[in-house]
Amino acid sequence: MLSTRLLTKRYGSLTAVEDLDLEISAGELFGFLGPNGAGKTTTIKMLVGLLRPTSGTAQVAGIDIMAEPEKAKARIGYVPDAATLYDKLSGREFLEFSGDLYHVEPRLRDRRIGALLKLFDLEQRGNDFLSGYSRGMRQKVSLAAALLHDPQVLFLDEPTVGLDPQSARQMKDILQDFCKEGKTVFFSTHILEIAERMCTRLAIINHGRLVAIGSLQDLRHMVGQDGQSLEQIFLELTGSREEDVSAVLRGLES
Amino acid sequence: MPRLMSGIDVGLLLWRAQFRMFINQTLRSRKPGRIVGTIVGAAIIVLAWAWEALITGVAVAAAHRFHAQIEVAHLLSLAFLGYTAVLVFSSLVFSLNALLLNPDLDLLLAAPRPVASILAGRMVLQVLRLFLLSLLFTAPALVVLAFANHNPLIPIVFSALYLLYPVFVVVIISLMSLLLVRFIPAGRGREILTLFGVALAVGINVLNFLLNPALRDSGFARRSLPLSLPDIPGASAPWLPSGWAGRSAAAALGGDWLTAIGWAFVLLAVSAVIFTVGTALSGRLYLAGWIQAVPPRRRKVAARGRRLRGAIPLLSPVLASIVIKDWRMRTRDLAQLVRFAMPVVFLFVIFGLRFPRLLSSVQGLGAGPAAAMLGLVPAWVLLFSLSLSLGLSAVSLEGQSIWVYAASPNTTLRFLEGKCWSAVLPTGVFVALVALVGESLIRPGWIWAATAVLLVVAQAASVTTLMVGIGAVFARFDWTDARRMMHPAGVFIGMALFAIITGASALLLAISLALAGATHFPLITTWLAAVTISVGGGVAVAALGLLVGNDHLRGLELG
Repeated sequence: MLSTRLLTKRYGSLTAVEDLDLEISAGELFGFLGPNGAGKTTTIKMLVGLLRPTSGTAQVAGIDIMAEPEKAKARIGYVPDAATLYDKLSGREFLEFSGDLYHVEPRLRDRRIGALLKLFDLEQRGNDFLSGYSRGMRQKVSLAAALLHDPQVLFLDEPTVGLDPQSARQMKDILQDFCKEGKTVFFSTHILEIAERMCTRLAIINHGRLVAIGSLQDLRHMVGQDGQSLEQIFLELTGSREEDVSAVLRGLES
Repeated sequence: MPRLMSGIDVGLLLWRAQFRMFINQTLRSRKPGRIVGTIVGAAIIVLAWAWEALITGVAVAAAHRFHAQIEVAHLLSLAFLGYTAVLVFSSLVFSLNALLLNPDLDLLLAAPRPVASILAGRMVLQVLRLFLLSLLFTAPALVVLAFANHNPLIPIVFSALYLLYPVFVVVIISLMSLLLVRFIPAGRGREILTLFGVALAVGINVLNFLLNPALRDSGFARRSLPLSLPDIPGASAPWLPSGWAGRSAAAALGGDWLTAIGWAFVLLAVSAVIFTVGTALSGRLYLAGWIQAVPPRRRKVAARGRRLRGAIPLLSPVLASIVIKDWRMRTRDLAQLVRFAMPVVFLFVIFGLRFPRLLSSVQGLGAGPAAAMLGLVPAWVLLFSLSLSLGLSAVSLEGQSIWVYAASPNTTLRFLEGKCWSAVLPTGVFVALVALVGESLIRPGWIWAATAVLLVVAQAASVTTLMVGIGAVFARFDWTDARRMMHPAGVFIGMALFAIITGASALLLAISLALAGATHFPLITTWLAAVTISVGGGVAVAALGLLVGNDHLRGLELG
């Protein structure tokens, strides 16, 4: 469903993502982890066609995102980390606009909008302007817009930021149901507990390079210690800085 | 007093930060384009200064030779009063942005300083900006005057006045903005302040039109009347800051430094009191503001809003969705609505108030193509404003929401097509309406009127499309303030191309009239040929502009 081959993005002398090879099957809920500035957002933006790779290829639902971007995008849903929405449109109007952009037939679009607003508990606020929505509600509208055209692959960049525990749980259920239909979710997150609970497979990226990929069990084998939490594995693979932090904090006290 | 000093300190801190940002974005940007742009901008300023110094020198020499009887104190008071209008406008926009749009307010308020000092710091920053702007515009003239009059006091007194004079306006407007923003429903502050700004602009223009003796005649008869300067007798009243500043400046020019310092001291004392009181009040007003705790008001969907959900005939759903979305954005956000409404309001101010005299002047021309062309003048003025404001900003209107479109399965050309429709439809409709009204009042003959209206509608479509293309080349997606939507270079190129296209079109039409007279061809034949060539040329330029814009957008990473 999703594959990349030697995917690389450079900004001048800075390499944001280097030689990324991924192979993700249909029905997978794939977690993409990494510290700040590791290249997660850049990777997602390349996979949804917002950034052009410097080299390498990426295929989504069997379509080369570079060669046929419009065809590939029709099969992709995307929720950015801090979604900037049109503040002066209502939630419903934004979804209508989004549906039209993705060529959803109007009657089907309206039916789906009704269902999605209900699903995300936004029925009562659907006609209010987005400027009055909380961050969590905006996140829900973004996800609803991403689901509206029934994509085969859903990309989410830090989707749980700003969500209350109920909404985070609701999102988790929705994503799992989405995968049960044979569709794929690719999401980046900092919250390792969520990734540990939800994902069928995980990848860890650091300084633009893939350092590990596999199920949680695979990752445990990789670091050679069964029973470790994802947090411990993550810190081990990306380099723990606990001692450095303590030294700096001691320095501040003096 | 500690709050006051802390406020000045915050103001200087903000000033330093802004100066650093300016240097980082220009000379230290490591982007050749920006560095060259900064150097070119500096060179233009130096040239303008040289020109200003030259003109001032010539004016001083002429004044010495002719000994004109001018009431310098009154003239300068009038200038300061006029400057007050500029101050009110700029302070309003600045206060509004500082309170509602700039994301750093929370950051500043989180600092361990009194709220009053943060707000006072904003006022200090605004005063410093206005001070430097005043110097930027007048420094060469002041230096030349100092040399010509052997009076080094002139630049010093004027600089002091530039620093002191804006204080009372900035403080009063900041307090008013605070009152509005902290005590009116959330999310409405910007709109109410924008409305206030529009009312102020229209009010000033209407008053200027009604009171200014230079504008009282019809325009056509102006040459027969002696030139008169706009005058407001109260400007130099001794109880007005403009009177104090004007007297101080006039005394400095005359070499009477005791009087100059005396009036400047009055301004200093009053400014200091207003700043002190304003600082204390601003802190209290900000803290007393209650509206942030109130949830935003629920919106009722109007029946008319429901009707807009349908498609637009002949447009695909994608194009229709862009047109409807842009219409909603432009009509719901007053900052956008102003772009749309102001050209129409100013058209009314310019033409509407002089309407009877203008009409009688034009009707004297009788029927024919010349009268038909004159009937198009209001439509052309409107086209100029609307094509620039709607066309150039069409692509940038997306702002940071551009990702919504970039992630969708549509080409950039399709996006631009939608943007063309969203700008051309309102422009075309309004321009056509104004042209129809103009032609039906002038009555140049139906064939001339019909072809003239067709011509201006075709021009509206082609010129606005061209502006959309230029707007795509100079697109900005990182703006938070609607004033920064359009790139100055884009505006300059757009205005130049508009002048060239409409000028060429008018020239063609004039040639067609001359050709018919010289060759005895039927006038209608040459006229229609000129209209056809004019429309064809406009369409070709528009298509080219659109292709260039598309090519540029395709090269961008809109993520």
